[in-house]
Amino acid sequence: MADPIHQFQIQKVIDLPDVTLPVLGTVDLAITNSHIAMTAAFVAIVGFLAAVTSNAQVVPGRLQAAGEGVFGLIDNLADSIIGHDGRKYFPFVFTIFLLILGMNLLGLFLTFTATSQLAITATFALITFGLVLVVGFAKNGLGFFKLFWPMGAPLLLRPVVGLIEFVSFLLRPITLALRLFGNMLGGHVALKIFAGFVVSLGLLGLGGGVGLLAFPVAALSLGMVVALTALEFLVAFLQAFVFAVLTCIYLNDVVNLDHAH
Amino acid sequence: MASTHTIDAVPPSVERDLHAETATPGDHGSGGLPQSQFEHWAGQIGYLLILFAVLYLLVSKVFAPRLRKVMDERADTISTAVATARQVQAEAADQAAQAQAEVVKARADARATAAAAKARVTEEANARQAAEEAVVNARIAEAEAAIGKTRDAAMSNVSTIASDAAAAMVERLTGKGATAAELAAVKGAA
Repeated sequence: MADPIHQFQIQKVIDLPDVTLPVLGTVDLAITNSHIAMTAAFVAIVGFLAAVTSNAQVVPGRLQAAGEGVFGLIDNLADSIIGHDGRKYFPFVFTIFLLILGMNLLGLFLTFTATSQLAITATFALITFGLVLVVGFAKNGLGFFKLFWPMGAPLLLRPVVGLIEFVSFLLRPITLALRLFGNMLGGHVALKIFAGFVVSLGLLGLGGGVGLLAFPVAALSLGMVVALTALEFLVAFLQAFVFAVLTCIYLNDVVNLDHAH
Repeated sequence: MASTHTIDAVPPSVERDLHAETATPGDHGSGGLPQSQFEHWAGQIGYLLILFAVLYLLVSKVFAPRLRKVMDERADTISTAVATARQVQAEAADQAAQAQAEVVKARADARATAAAAKARVTEEANARQAAEEAVVNARIAEAEAAIGKTRDAAMSNVSTIASDAAAAMVERLTGKGATAAELAAVKGAA
């Protein structure tokens, strides 16, 4: 039976010489299956956007309508959560949404899912967290720390609540990274296990005798694979959307710090 | 993808298989998930950052402005079309009101013309009738006068004839003629 974890193994496709960087130490520059999956998602996204916008008409065709649907989804999201400043942060949210969605969806077609790598999801989370910090300090200066000072709470409780707020703020990138990583990891492991059942139980059934009883179970497993695949498509979209929503919410916290608190 | 295990007649449990795989030294590094092999992190993170930066630039400089332009153009087109339609509708309503007023005016004109024509015709008919009546009346009067004259003439002849007849009767009875004075007296008595 196939190992359900093996699909997450990074494999070098083209090995390039290692380089030694001052802080990071030795870095392996090899082009791996992860790089290929990311590149495929990137190329698909750019190709899609180019096809949508290259010959954009006032009266849209099907492809343009689809592109504008995705565009409008994130545009409305940014506008409704961040407010009139949303337009400024739209490209960032749209980029992060498209990259995650592209990698999630390609993971269902290819043998490797980039977003099931903790390194990738952590990078996305840290990019968002970093932007929130940069925008927070750039817009509010040291007033950024008002974010952790709950004006609504009783004075006595404020330090306690503030501490909790601060810790939960620091945990944001971790939850962002782990939510996406866990969803992708779990979904693909479950798919692999059920698919593995189909093959191994089918081979068991081919042995004849009592083994024939394995065929119905194999069929059930196949049904599970089909159902889980449908679910995984939903999860692939939903996790990208959730990431975009949370990015907007976190950005809104620091963009509209004065109005909200 | 496929593991190196050959598939036995009785497949091992998933857990056993998993343990066997993960326990293989060198294959999965730290013995946990392949995702925790940190030697692969730097390459992936660096590459993802590059891709992210490139896509961000493309979206913010090329794709988003292009789509926004088209969407703004569309909003413009729609609002212009709606404004034009409103204007045309107002014009049409104006014209309809104008036409309605014209119809009302035309109807009033027609009514007035009809009334005038009727009055003229009535007047003419009355005048003609009056004229004809006058002519007829004149002729009636004329005829009556002629009749009167004829009757007067006849009446005067009648008295002459009567006196003549009386004179003749008197003459035959008495043998002598009656005087004119007597005749006149008789006539008056008769």
